[in-house]
Amino acid sequence: MMAFFASIEQNPIGTWVRESPSLLAFPFILFLHTLGLAMLAGLNIGLDAWLLGRRKLPPFELANIYRVMWVGFGINALSGVVLLAAYPAKALTNWVFFAKLLCIVVALWVLQRLKGELAIAAGAAERDVSAHARRLAFASLLLWTATIFAGRLLAYTHHILLVSEGLS
Amino acid sequence: MDAFIDWIYTTRLSSFVNDYRWVWPICESLHFCALTVLAGTVGLFDLRVLGLVKGIAPGALHATLRWGVVAFVVSAITGVMFISGASEQYFYNDAFRLKVVFLVLMGANAALFYWREFAGIRALGPRDDAPRSAKLIAAASLVFLVGVMLCGRMLTFFRPPFFHGP
Repeated sequence: MMAFFASIEQNPIGTWVRESPSLLAFPFILFLHTLGLAMLAGLNIGLDAWLLGRRKLPPFELANIYRVMWVGFGINALSGVVLLAAYPAKALTNWVFFAKLLCIVVALWVLQRLKGELAIAAGAAERDVSAHARRLAFASLLLWTATIFAGRLLAYTHHILLVSEGLS
Repeated sequence: MDAFIDWIYTTRLSSFVNDYRWVWPICESLHFCALTVLAGTVGLFDLRVLGLVKGIAPGALHATLRWGVVAFVVSAITGVMFISGASEQYFYNDAFRLKVVFLVLMGANAALFYWREFAGIRALGPRDDAPRSAKLIAAASLVFLVGVMLCGRMLTFFRPPFFHGP
């Protein structure tokens, strides 16, 4: 397994991200990861907060909000893969990383379920916020909080940084 | 400046941040959570004012900004904790200075919005378009927010060379 991580570490993109002194390498990719988080998790939390603060849902158009969130997810996924290519062992030998991935997958599933609940409200009249929609919004808040904690704590809980250079 | 930094390191807050290994990571996590909530609630409102989200009256969406205010307070508290724990990292750092500039611009932009635009925006219906001046302020708000995030992320890469902290 370590030989596999070492081979990934030597890929040109990962090496560039890790070793380039350019601000467009590791620093900018980290920024993109944060920007994607704000677009996806931020807007999802904004929707959750809005929904939890209401008794009635008005008919409204979701398409553009979801479009922005999916662009955020795309930015996050791409920047995440590049960061993983730079430090594969750091993430893949740490259970916190897998906990983060699990939280993201479940949060995205909840986001889609929430879309179903909100889309029902896109009829002609206002309708009550269902207990199910509230539960989904609350679960979404917890899942994104757990994702963010896991993401930050990755930097403090890894056992291996780089396999190929024997650093740990 | 050095004397001020020395004084910060004598405070109980500074000792609290530096004496317990878990304080810094927990504060970082809370800082990121708060940033995400702030970006999401302010961003959602800005998108409505810009016209990308329709069907919700801006006045109804405005209530979610209370969460943004709480998030800003959490950001500020954890930010002060970072500064008390590793002052040189911030006071001798161009990215931090620029981040503060963006924060001030965000605040001024929000003040301008409430002074000039809020009354009109609050009266808008679910499908009404905001005036161009309000859209400009909303767009500026998003730009400043991204500026804060960019500078915050760049902070560790602009640390002074003599700094060896967390």
